[in-house]
Amino acid sequence: MTKPEQSALALRMTGISKSFPGVKALQNVNLEVREGEVHAIVGENGAGKSTLMKILAGFYQPDEGEIQAAGETVSHWTPREARDRGIGMIYQELNLVPDLSVAENISLGAMPRRGPFVDYRTVTVLAKSVLTELDADIDPGTRLGDLSISQQQLVEIAKVVARKPRIVVFDEPTSSLGDKETRVLFDVIEKMRSRGIAIIYISHRLQEVMEIGDRVTVLRDGRHIETRDVAGVTPDQMVRLMVGRDLSEMFPKLDLELGETVLSVTNISRVGQFEDVTLDVRANEIVGLAGLVGSGRTEVARAIFGLDPIDSGEISLRGKVVRITNPRKGVAAGIALVPEDRKGQGIIPALSVRENFTLAVITRITNALLIFARREKAIVTDLADRLKVNPPQIERPLNAFSGGNQQKVVLGKWLLSEPSLLILDEPTRGVDVGAKADIHEIIGEFAQSGGAVLMISSELPELLAVCDRIFVLHEGNLVAEIPRAAASEESVMRAATGQVSAA
Amino acid sequence: MTDLKTPAVTFDKTRTPGTLFSTLSIPVAIVVLVVIGAIVSPSFLTVSNLTNVINANSTVGLIALGMTFVMVCGGLADLSVPANVAMGALVTLGAQPVVGPGAAALLGILVATAGGVINGLLVGYLRINPIIATLGTGSVLLGLSQLLIGGGIVYAQPSDLANFVKSSILGVPVLIWIFVIVALILQPLLSRTAYGRWNLAVGGNYQAAAASGVPVRFTKASAFALTGLLSGICGTLLALSNGQARPIIGTGYEFVAITAVVIGGTSVFGGNGSIFRTVGGVIITALIGNLIILSGLPTQATGLITGAIVVGAVGIDAYFRRKAGRE
Repeated sequence: MTKPEQSALALRMTGISKSFPGVKALQNVNLEVREGEVHAIVGENGAGKSTLMKILAGFYQPDEGEIQAAGETVSHWTPREARDRGIGMIYQELNLVPDLSVAENISLGAMPRRGPFVDYRTVTVLAKSVLTELDADIDPGTRLGDLSISQQQLVEIAKVVARKPRIVVFDEPTSSLGDKETRVLFDVIEKMRSRGIAIIYISHRLQEVMEIGDRVTVLRDGRHIETRDVAGVTPDQMVRLMVGRDLSEMFPKLDLELGETVLSVTNISRVGQFEDVTLDVRANEIVGLAGLVGSGRTEVARAIFGLDPIDSGEISLRGKVVRITNPRKGVAAGIALVPEDRKGQGIIPALSVRENFTLAVITRITNALLIFARREKAIVTDLADRLKVNPPQIERPLNAFSGGNQQKVVLGKWLLSEPSLLILDEPTRGVDVGAKADIHEIIGEFAQSGGAVLMISSELPELLAVCDRIFVLHEGNLVAEIPRAAASEESVMRAATGQVSAA
Repeated sequence: MTDLKTPAVTFDKTRTPGTLFSTLSIPVAIVVLVVIGAIVSPSFLTVSNLTNVINANSTVGLIALGMTFVMVCGGLADLSVPANVAMGALVTLGAQPVVGPGAAALLGILVATAGGVINGLLVGYLRINPIIATLGTGSVLLGLSQLLIGGGIVYAQPSDLANFVKSSILGVPVLIWIFVIVALILQPLLSRTAYGRWNLAVGGNYQAAAASGVPVRFTKASAFALTGLLSGICGTLLALSNGQARPIIGTGYEFVAITAVVIGGTSVFGGNGSIFRTVGGVIITALIGNLIILSGLPTQATGLITGAIVVGAVGIDAYFRRKAGRE
């Protein structure tokens, strides 16, 4: 590891404040990042991390404060200024064009030209050199859309690296990656660091921060709480700084008497996605579905809910064979699915919290014609209160809420439908610690009240803490069923990586 | 687990420039137009002029009401409106000698509705781009209508029905009554029923609505069927009140309707919209048209001005959306 404290300051943000109507997003925040340092920023959703980064990228102008890049104070910080001074941003969502080649994507926005035409030779040469630099085994001529998500992310990084950045911001880069892909990403970050690039790393996954970070800055409620060397801090201390309170237990687990079998899936297959999957979930039970990205976990969940048809096999609910061919039948059968892709399939961003909450059950709160407005409001108010939706403004459009609160609303939408089986696909991805604990509590309460839960998560500690049993998928095959007592990160990982052939 | 900073749940709408803009802009615009009108021409602010203006726009206004649903559910626009209006009008008059005026009117509306249903099947169930689908059905149906009557004019027979359509009740023309009644039915349909909520959800996020068990295909299809129905009613009323009909009877109506909906603040991107606001949009478009004529500008300027307003309104909408998306 380099000694960051000896290297020069790449960036200094001093006394940054920013208000939006009704909210003080940032108050007097300081941030110093050194060359060759991985500087993690942690904090709950709404703590001000993204606002600070948007200021750094030049999208927002701070109300107060000063930005110094490489020792030079810049008075008017614009997106262009940020780019010219070597600041590169890598967001959770990829900004790439699927139909262009890898090389074209890397040069996108700064296409080398020969006269009026694109100089494709240079485009390819540049792409090759950057990809080699990152040790990425990707052919620059490949159509981007044909790559895996993790490879696409490498291309996104290559795009930033190609511009010779001095500071690179990673905003939740691992949220769509599996463990293996995360390794690759960390190697890349390590390489960038050793070249003296300053790295700002934002993540909810504290383990990652511990592993890759040199220093960590904690933000809470728009204020700078502390900056420390990662070596001298434990994850527990970090959590305490982030939430300003003790989380007595990160994942509370209730021991419940299991009820009858709610879901029973026998030998279901969907060509090219999963094969002969057999599993069951009982009332009061939380069952985990583990596997690497691409193992077929999401596909199994979608098929059970009726989003994708199965080619063979049988699904039974409470002992009765059901044929669920679309989500409407899924809902009618008492199944709910909280999808992995919250933005794409979970929320209706322009509609209010109220309208999102009642979407799946709206026909149940109407008479022959009209919605019972008062009853709707009462139901929603009660639910928002129970789920601690914050801010508790149910008429506000959902896109004005943080990821964690949006997820609570998606969860709440399905709780209202009173399902007997709740399927959760990455329910806490991209969600801060506080909201995560709230979500676990909600899931626990649901199981306690007799519900059956099937939960997918890439975060093994979460599955291990919450689940009664864990099924493991590997390349579309169910390779293990591990009871709570026997489940460990090691045993699940071994199965997920295909080192166990049968349960 | 206690969250210390959770205050009581409230219903306060957050006032962003965008929402304030859309709630106040319509009444303000109408007042401004009326004031300008009163200054420009002494004959503007008279009961007969204003009644005439609204009366003349109430038929195309019906289509704007249907088009609101199309836009709200993310169906962009129905470009087959002129064809369905023509079908409604021509069948209404053409079938009169055979089945009588009442049955002929119903038949005309039915034929146009069938056109709308076809649009709905293409857009909702086959998921063809609405612009392409309705452009296609529009061309086919308009071609069919021209083929049927050979480019001529169909005349109405005198009938009680036609007299009724041309009459007034309590000093208000029947055409305006019909517009008002349809608007009063459709307003709660969009804002207070499960069906209306589906439209908003489908336009707001198709995938999420589908995954929540909303009948997305039906919702989208029905918005086009509704627009077909209202185009048919529009055509029938036009034919009866004008006493004649030609295939070009509804030319440009799709654009007038789109203009009214967009001026009313409904987003072309789907997910929000209101019938009352569309009614406001219809009134504004009508007043602008009237002002242009009264101020002595050539009528051709109408397209120029309303077109500019549409582009401006969509631009403002896109701007606020982008801003909201970035926060």
